[in-house]
Amino acid sequence: MDTATVDTRPSYLENGHSWQSWLLTKDHKRIAILYLITITLFFFIGGLFALLIRLELMTPAGDMVEAETYNKFFTMHGVAMVFFFLIPSIPAVLGNFLVPVMIGAKDLAFPRINLLSWYILVVGGLFTLGAVVMGGVDTGWTFYTPYSTAASNTHVIMTGLGVFISGFSSILTGLNFIVTIHKMRAPGMTWFRLPLFIWAHYATSIIQILGTPVVAIAVLLVALERTLHIGIFDPNLGGDPVLYQHLFWFYSHPAVYIMVLPGMGVISELIAAFARKAIFGYKFVAFSSLGIALVGFFVWGHHMFVSSQSVYAALIFSFLSYLVAIPSAIKTFNWTATLYKGSISYQSPMIYAFGFLGLFLVGGLTGLFLAALGLDVHVHDTYFVVAHFHYIMVGGSIMAYLGGMHYWWPKISGRMYPEGWAKFAALMVFVGFNLTFFPQFLLGYLGMPRRYHMYPEEWQVLNVLSTAGASILGVGYLIPMVYFTWSFVKGEKAPANPWGATGLEWTIPSPPPTENFTTTPIVTEEAYAYSNREMKVA
Amino acid sequence: MSAHIASLRLYWTVFALLMVMTVLTVAVTFVDLGAANLYVALGIAIFKATIVVLYFMHARWSSRLTHVVILSGIVFLGILFSFTLADYFTRGYIGVAGK
Amino acid sequence: MWFKNPFVPEQASEFASSVDTFYFFMVSVSAFFAILVVTLVAVFAIRYRRRHEHEAGTPVHGALALELTWTLIPLGIAMVMFFWGASIFFAMSKPPSNAMEIYVVGKRWMWKFQHMTGQREINELHVPVGQPVKLLVGSEDVIHSVYIPAFRVKMDAVPGRTTTLWFTPTKTGRYHLFCAEYCGQKHSGMRGTVVVLEPAEFQAWLAGGPATGSMADAGQKLFNDLACATCHRDDASGRGPSLKDVFGSTVTLAGGATVTADDAYLRESIVNPQAKIVEGYAPLMPTFQGLVTEEQLNQLIAYIKAQAGGTPGTAAPATGTPAPGAPAASGTQPSTE
Repeated sequence: MDTATVDTRPSYLENGHSWQSWLLTKDHKRIAILYLITITLFFFIGGLFALLIRLELMTPAGDMVEAETYNKFFTMHGVAMVFFFLIPSIPAVLGNFLVPVMIGAKDLAFPRINLLSWYILVVGGLFTLGAVVMGGVDTGWTFYTPYSTAASNTHVIMTGLGVFISGFSSILTGLNFIVTIHKMRAPGMTWFRLPLFIWAHYATSIIQILGTPVVAIAVLLVALERTLHIGIFDPNLGGDPVLYQHLFWFYSHPAVYIMVLPGMGVISELIAAFARKAIFGYKFVAFSSLGIALVGFFVWGHHMFVSSQSVYAALIFSFLSYLVAIPSAIKTFNWTATLYKGSISYQSPMIYAFGFLGLFLVGGLTGLFLAALGLDVHVHDTYFVVAHFHYIMVGGSIMAYLGGMHYWWPKISGRMYPEGWAKFAALMVFVGFNLTFFPQFLLGYLGMPRRYHMYPEEWQVLNVLSTAGASILGVGYLIPMVYFTWSFVKGEKAPANPWGATGLEWTIPSPPPTENFTTTPIVTEEAYAYSNREMKVA
Repeated sequence: MSAHIASLRLYWTVFALLMVMTVLTVAVTFVDLGAANLYVALGIAIFKATIVVLYFMHARWSSRLTHVVILSGIVFLGILFSFTLADYFTRGYIGVAGK
Repeated sequence: MWFKNPFVPEQASEFASSVDTFYFFMVSVSAFFAILVVTLVAVFAIRYRRRHEHEAGTPVHGALALELTWTLIPLGIAMVMFFWGASIFFAMSKPPSNAMEIYVVGKRWMWKFQHMTGQREINELHVPVGQPVKLLVGSEDVIHSVYIPAFRVKMDAVPGRTTTLWFTPTKTGRYHLFCAEYCGQKHSGMRGTVVVLEPAEFQAWLAGGPATGSMADAGQKLFNDLACATCHRDDASGRGPSLKDVFGSTVTLAGGATVTADDAYLRESIVNPQAKIVEGYAPLMPTFQGLVTEEQLNQLIAYIKAQAGGTPGTAAPATGTPAPGAPAASGTQPSTE
């Protein structure tokens, strides 16, 4: 299988240098790079708003910006991070790059649709950025009615359109992945030989295809009610505001799994590679992804326990929410068990994976608090919720995303990054993250509501701690940005397989040629067959 | 990819059926059927959607996998409707306003 | 609690201690699993660290027994959490019949309260200690949420609906009241104070307020001003059904269906009269959507309720069933009948 070293074809990065060769490319790897640049931009926009939020909350009085401005800050932070960074992050960058390579295919099933979905994201993003430039939007990323349809006088429609459009990007990417995974696996790549990264993306794609249309419809109805005053959500027009919450969370709760399932897939790869051992309970981990995707669609009502939803519906949703916690527990225990008798190295991607385990654990366990009816009544809409979903979506997804970027960066760029800096950044992110968000759990239980521009003085100490943590976290995110950019130009050349890992992506050169494989690979073994081979780095 | 080629005659038949149904939809709005108004309109719409999917979208001649994909969409719509209605239909069960 | 935990808000209602006990259980279980997993990861990571570059892990095949263990034990614990949480939630959902009713209206960006005896308050709510209090919550514009951390209760104020929240204060003092659902510009300024008083002090406070007449009185005045009385007469001679004794009764609708005349039904019949037509009457009534404010709507409902004398839940202390622990309150509160 080791034909990689004699491969002389130009890499995908060298294959054309013109603008057209990038902007009209049908190569999934180049499209992944386009996504990488786009979502990094949105991450910085979202991060900037986060920084402004934390600065305002350093003092209890709302003294830095006007209340209205503050409301726009947290709305734009949420919209940019959720719809334009977290949802596309791992699937559109790492998934795009790796799904075809990992299953031994030349490209995704629909390369043109793949390029189209990037353009759609960009158009959606431009609408949203346009709304920011024109003065912003202040409804919160949830666009709750009737505030969004009848009261807010900001650019709701434009932002909503941005979200609506970007949804189609997500749907098309999901569609592309599903067809690719079904139809383009290399000979011998049976379903149970697929890397768990692929299983996770398969499950994610199902959610993207089935859930996204509903939020698109919900946002569209908001726009229609604002412009044409049709009575869907506004009670003054005969509508029901709670109906919006049903439609919105039907997608937006599963959307959390769009954000975290690919991260779980990355972690499975990292733990297998750096423990040099097959994932314990492969089938349980694979099916738990599908379990999460499926049961995740039945739990949305846990966002509505105090919204005047009926007590019986609340009971059903609480019960099902506890069921969806089980697959996540199964994954965590299986990852832990994988370490047993492994050969564990502490290279930077593994440090991120350890960080993920710790933060995801806290995020997942506090989810149990919120699924509990009687307890959620108290902590609902407080900083407890804010802390919980940041532990999942930032502590979980972004840790996994960064871990994955460090693991596959040599493959993507063909260069190594400075290992010492990478470990330092991982530590900064971990410490900064906990300092930012752990105090928010305490604030939440003490009763501090979310989306508050000013707050009672007794909560200042915890808020200052949180802001201090955010500054560390911010630096922690900037460092990888700097050394990745540096390494792209100056980094040491990466070998085909710097980690001594299994998986088809490590059998081809770094960076891979445009067609990925010279000849279609034939797969003869399970994923993570570490014991079957002579360990060889390079 | 679709190996099956449906006859032009079949397409025209389906098209004609759709047109008839459209006329029927408009026609029944002139008759007050009471509570049945909604169900008749929905029934016609579902019938039209079904024949479009079966014949125009070739689902009738597609593989099992395609059928699973189509059915999963319908099942998920069912989840959305049934769980949302589970809230609406059980409101006020315990006789407390807003519970 | 025998010591003051700085990370727990004041416990000032009967729910506070049950919620906190549950919370500490959840924290303990979470801490146990977090420490378990972190310890295992740390121990394995050190014990099985890579000792030379070409080393691979020893294959360990999955074990069904182990998988079942870490599926079923968490499932069992999750079910305990579910039932415990649900039981607290049920207690929070069902106010006792002797609860004192107070109407709350959220409006950007203030809270308006009206006691059954007529006293109005803005951003401040006075309640007696030891007496179950039931808030009937409405909103004039967008969704708000009544949140009193010291009582561990929260309920959204949804425009177009009446929602319910109840608690029994156990400790006198002043407590925060927040709007917990984002409602626009001054959302974080939509704060108030709940003042819990000794029953006698509460009576004194009630007596000291400006006497504007009870809610039912105000409702009766509105009922006449809006000419409701032209059609809704006390006997069956009007064009609309008689509203005497209608609250709490079973109403037969056109088409044969029946409905219990509760708060939600009365509200709907005022703002959207065509939704449920009473059997034997023509759909003549115009909508009052937008013509009456949320508070006026509450007054009208209070008046209709008061006409159904003796119905449990209407201005409880006045019905002659003294609330346990609050005899003073029930004895001296003015009647609304």
